[in-house]
Amino acid sequence: MAERPGPEPTGALGGPAAERAGGTADTSRGPGRVLVAVYAVFALAAGARAAVQLATRFGEAPLAYLLSAFAAAVYLVAAVALSRGGRGGRRTALVACMVELVGVLVVGTLSLLDPAAFPDETVWSNYGQGYLFIPLGLPVLGLLWLRHQAEADRAR
Amino acid sequence: MAAATVVALVLAAVGGVSTGMRRRIGSAHVAGAVLLEALLLVQAAVVVVGMAGGHRPAELATFLSYLVSVVLLPVAGLLWARSEPTRWAGTVLGVAALAVTVMLWRLLDLWEVTRG
Repeated sequence: MAERPGPEPTGALGGPAAERAGGTADTSRGPGRVLVAVYAVFALAAGARAAVQLATRFGEAPLAYLLSAFAAAVYLVAAVALSRGGRGGRRTALVACMVELVGVLVVGTLSLLDPAAFPDETVWSNYGQGYLFIPLGLPVLGLLWLRHQAEADRAR
Repeated sequence: MAAATVVALVLAAVGGVSTGMRRRIGSAHVAGAVLLEALLLVQAAVVVVGMAGGHRPAELATFLSYLVSVVLLPVAGLLWARSEPTRWAGTVLGVAALAVTVMLWRLLDLWEVTRG
């Protein structure tokens, strides 16, 4: 795309955006950065919640709280892997997204079939209903983004 | 609290708009984030004063961790959005703003459980 001498100065809504973030495939740029932001928020939210639950009432629902902690760890791994990028980062992020997707589907299904086994909410209960179903959509978006990156990589 | 929620929602919307218009973030985003941060700090001060006055919200540990992280979110979101050269910068800020909204709602929930 040709450089457009901008008639629009950097105003309240900012100047025109760069269309492509450099030439290198980078999982932490553009839409990827939004993903990392959402993952970071989820790692923070789920992690803080799990820490409190484990510390204050571990005995009530150990399975649910350990699951929450595990989910938080997976979100953290995904956030770090996506923000680091590169081949290794992408591979790690791929595994993290798959674990997430399987986790939310299995836990979501189990929590509907056998509510007694999950007396307290986890991030993945009822397919992430308590979190606006974001836990269900996030790994799918992550996988799509990773596939897009891999294709961009191959095209070079 | 209500004011902070409104500002956070407006900020999220402005972030979405700039992504839709393929623009980076500008002074509107920075002003919104600064205003939001100021409101959150005022709220934190009010909460601390209230707690010093003997008010104890439900699930104290959760409440405090929310209170601390909600203040950090706009700062983190703004710093990160500023270093993003593509149109997605606004969305990054929007995500932070929406997270603030949800956390404010949870905080209010916990705060009011023991009230009255």
